[in-house]
Amino acid sequence: MSLDNLILLTGRTISQGVALEGGKASRENVRACGICTFDADDFKKLDCLVGTPVKVITDYGEVVLYSTITEEGPHQGIIFIPMGPWANQLVNPSSQGCGTPTYKGMKAKVEVVKSGKVLGAIELIGRLKEA
Amino acid sequence: MVVKIRTVKDVSCPFCGTLCDDLEIDVDIKTDLVVEVRNGCQIGTRKYFSSNPSDHRYMKPLIKVNGEHKEVSWDEALDKAADILVNAQRPLLYGFSSTECEAQSRGVELAEMLNAILDNTASVCHGPSLLAIQDVGASLATLGEIKNRADTIIFWGSNPVHAHPRHLSRYSDFIRGYFRTDGRNDRNIIVIDPRYTHTAQIADKYIKVNPSEDYELIQAIRAVLRGSELDVKEVSGVPMDDIKELVEELKSCNFGVVFFGMGLTQSLAHHRNVDTAIRLVAELNDYTKFLLIPMRGHYNVAGANQVFTWNTGYPYSIDFSRGYPRYNPGEFSSVELLLRDEVDASLIVASDPGSNFPAASVKNLFKHPLISIEPHKTPTSAFADVILPAAIAGIECEGTAYRMDGVPLRLRKVKDPPGDTLSDKEILERLIEKVKEKLGE
Repeated sequence: MSLDNLILLTGRTISQGVALEGGKASRENVRACGICTFDADDFKKLDCLVGTPVKVITDYGEVVLYSTITEEGPHQGIIFIPMGPWANQLVNPSSQGCGTPTYKGMKAKVEVVKSGKVLGAIELIGRLKEA
Repeated sequence: MVVKIRTVKDVSCPFCGTLCDDLEIDVDIKTDLVVEVRNGCQIGTRKYFSSNPSDHRYMKPLIKVNGEHKEVSWDEALDKAADILVNAQRPLLYGFSSTECEAQSRGVELAEMLNAILDNTASVCHGPSLLAIQDVGASLATLGEIKNRADTIIFWGSNPVHAHPRHLSRYSDFIRGYFRTDGRNDRNIIVIDPRYTHTAQIADKYIKVNPSEDYELIQAIRAVLRGSELDVKEVSGVPMDDIKELVEELKSCNFGVVFFGMGLTQSLAHHRNVDTAIRLVAELNDYTKFLLIPMRGHYNVAGANQVFTWNTGYPYSIDFSRGYPRYNPGEFSSVELLLRDEVDASLIVASDPGSNFPAASVKNLFKHPLISIEPHKTPTSAFADVILPAAIAGIECEGTAYRMDGVPLRLRKVKDPPGDTLSDKEILERLIEKVKEKLGE
C-alpha cells in the first residue's frame, strides 16, 4: 500500500535527544530517529502493522524507516520524522536565500516495503561518502 | 563494597538553551565516573552518563590511514590537521554551539588566521531569527521576568516538552513567580502548531495552523489587531472567529510572551515568519506588555552568536576570505557553501553536520579533508581524516555559556577528562600554534 500527497515535518523528540547523547551509532538511535510517525487514520490506509518498514520519498531523496502511529495527533495528511540522519535524506536543502535549509513542509509519499531494512546512522551517512 | 561519592552542586547542564543551573552530580571518587544525576531532564542526565568511558567515546587522537582510524600522538594529529587547514583554499570552521565561549573565541582567531569561513549551528536553526532581529529589532527579556510576571505564554512552532524539557517547570508554565503566585493556574498557555504536540496537550488553548502557513496567520492576527475585517472564513486553517478570540485574549492579558522555535525558522518563509512575529509583538505593546524569546537549541549557541559578534561584528556565517569579516548567510552559510561545493576542507568543532545537514551538502562535505574535534563517535567523526578527542565542556572542563535569553552562566567541571582528551579550548590553542608555525608567523 502507499500514500501520496503527505506533508513531511521534522523536529525534536525527547527520545531523539536521549538517543543522540547515548550514542549515535547505537540501535537506540535508530529506534528513536529512524521512524516515520503517522496520523492514526492515515496509518489505517497503509494497511500494515506498526513497525513495518516504509519508504518515504520526497523530491530530494528517499529513505526506509520504521512506521509508527503518532502520540501527537491527530494530524491528517502530515507525517513526522525526528530530526537526524534519516530525516535529512528527505529535506529541502534550499534556503530561499537566507542560509537555513527548509527542514519542514516537504511534499512526500510513502510506500510499504515489507522487506526493507532501516540502516544505522553511520551506515546510512556512509553511503553519502561512497556516492 | 562502599562507594565513596563526591557531590557537585549548582551545576549548569550543557544540553539545551534552557541551561538549567540546579543540577547535582554524584561522582565516584575512586573511579571518577558519574554515578547519579539529580534535577536533570532525561536528556541532560544522559549527557552526564555518556561522559563515562564507553565504546563510542574517543580517548586518543586518531588519523585515518588506508580507510582505518589509527591512534597517534597529539603532536602528529595536530600536525596533520594544521597541514589540511593551511593547504586549503576555502576551509570551513563549523560547529561551536556545544562548547564554551573561550573555545569559540579561539575558533574566531583560527578562522581569521586561515581566511576561512566561520559558522555556528545557528545557520541551520535560529539563523533566520537573527536575520529578523537585525531587520526589525526585538522586544526581549530574561527568563526570570517571564517566571515572575508572564500570564499569557504562546509557544509557536516549538515543543518544549520534547526539546526543552524543564523550560515549563523552571520558567514558563508550572513555576510560581513573584506576581504569579499560583503557578500554572495563573498562566494561560497557548500553543500554535500543525501537530497536537505534547506541549499542546497540556495547554489551555491549541490553534492548529496549516504547515508552512504561519506567516499568513501572523499577518491575519496583525490585521485583526488593527481593526481590519478580513473577508475570509479562515486563514491558514484557523477560523476567523478563533483569530478574533485570540486577539482579544492577547490584548487583555497583563504580560504576554511568544516563545518560538523551528516551526517558524525552518519552514518556507524562514526569517519573514520571525520578522512578522516580532512586528506583531511590537504592536501588541500598544495594548499590554508583550515580549518574544527564541527557543535556542544548543546550550551555548547563543554564546557562539555573542562571541562571534563581539569579535567580528556578525553572529554566524562569516567569510574571512578577503582578510576581513563579511556577512551574508544566503551566500556564506555552511549548507549553501557545501551545496555549491566551494569548501575544500572542514574543521568541525563539537557538532555533527553529517547527521544534521541535508544529504546533498553532506555528500560534498565528505569529498574533502575533514577534521573533527569531538568527544563521541558520530556520523561526522566516523568519516573524518583526523579526530581530535575533546573533553566535554560543562562536565570535564569549566567555561561560560549563554542561556537562550542571553544570560551568561558559568559551567562547572565535575570530573577529570578521561584518557588523553583535552578541552576544546586547549585543542584549538595548540592547533593555532601549529598553523602559525606552518604559515611562518
